[in-house]
Amino acid sequence: MNALRIIFDGIVKKNPTFVLILGMCPTLGTTSSAITGMSMGLATLFVLMCSNMAVSAIKSIVPDKVRIPVYIVVIASFVTILQMVMQAYLPSLYATLGIFIPLIVVNCILLGRAEAFASKNGVFASLCDGLGVGVGFTLALTLLGSVREILGTGAVFGCQLYSADYGALLFVLAPGAFIVLGLLIALFNRLYNNE
Amino acid sequence: MKSTLLTMTASLCGLALLVGAALAGVNILTEKPIAEAQAEARRQAIAAVLPEFDNNPSEEAIVTPDGLTLFPATKNGEEVGTAVETYSDNGFSGRFTILAGFDRDGRVTGFRVLSHSETPGLGAKMGEWFSAEGTSHDVTGHTQPFTLKNHGGDIDAITGATITSQAFMEALNRAAEACANKNSEP
Repeated sequence: MNALRIIFDGIVKKNPTFVLILGMCPTLGTTSSAITGMSMGLATLFVLMCSNMAVSAIKSIVPDKVRIPVYIVVIASFVTILQMVMQAYLPSLYATLGIFIPLIVVNCILLGRAEAFASKNGVFASLCDGLGVGVGFTLALTLLGSVREILGTGAVFGCQLYSADYGALLFVLAPGAFIVLGLLIALFNRLYNNE
Repeated sequence: MKSTLLTMTASLCGLALLVGAALAGVNILTEKPIAEAQAEARRQAIAAVLPEFDNNPSEEAIVTPDGLTLFPATKNGEEVGTAVETYSDNGFSGRFTILAGFDRDGRVTGFRVLSHSETPGLGAKMGEWFSAEGTSHDVTGHTQPFTLKNHGGDIDAITGATITSQAFMEALNRAAEACANKNSEP
């Protein structure tokens, strides 16, 4: 029960995009289409689960004053491993996401969860937290990417809903990211606070 | 844990060693698949922009002094064309690279955009735009010089992405030039 609670909290109550408003750089940068948003979310999910577990496992042997550099090194090495594995076995996905992968290192969600949760909780609880927050991030990015792609190009996940000629290009470009994100945050908080 | 000089030094050094070893291990494991994946991607791109060939153009690649890579393709020993990896630094968001195929007479047989960071929906359309069959902006079959209509040429620029279009022409001209130089040498 407790594990489910932590996962649910990560997806809804502590949703990194809509509630904590963390990791805005990849959120705005990678969501020009649903598929890139989702891939970025999944890549972050993987790194977050690994780094949360590793940080939790080594928390008792890390001196307090150097904990931030230690967390960053742990996160950076998982990102590098992910990058190399993706380049080797998923080259087409790497071609789309390539420039964003190294940016996962500076995604403050990872350091935030390491500092706020993993350094105070057990390995399994940290894994659940990583899973929950990661899934929450993935869902948020996929939703944001879908809305932007539908409004901007009339298609989502390669399925054309209406002619691209009627799409508002604004939503695929950077300003559209801010507009859609703002509206989604407002909507999410409205729905969540009504519960 | 208490932070003393000893524990801090030991934990950071230990972590660096551990992580370094792990990364080296993954690097050894993935080195070969990465090289293979890149070679395969290049082979596919070359096959897409050139007529049929039976040699391995990657093995005969020539690098020109200005940084272009030429991949000569032959069939039964006869030259059928050259694929050129060319670039422009004048894109709307910096450098982009394209692989363009030319036949022996310098006509474009096809091209592929290899990497770019142009605006989605505008400059990013260059791949489809300049290969749209039967339009005034299709560069297939075109020879040097590649010039846009607003510069007195005959190729339509992408609506709303003139800078990208100009950079694209620059990249194609550079490739065609390198190709012609290669053919004029023995």
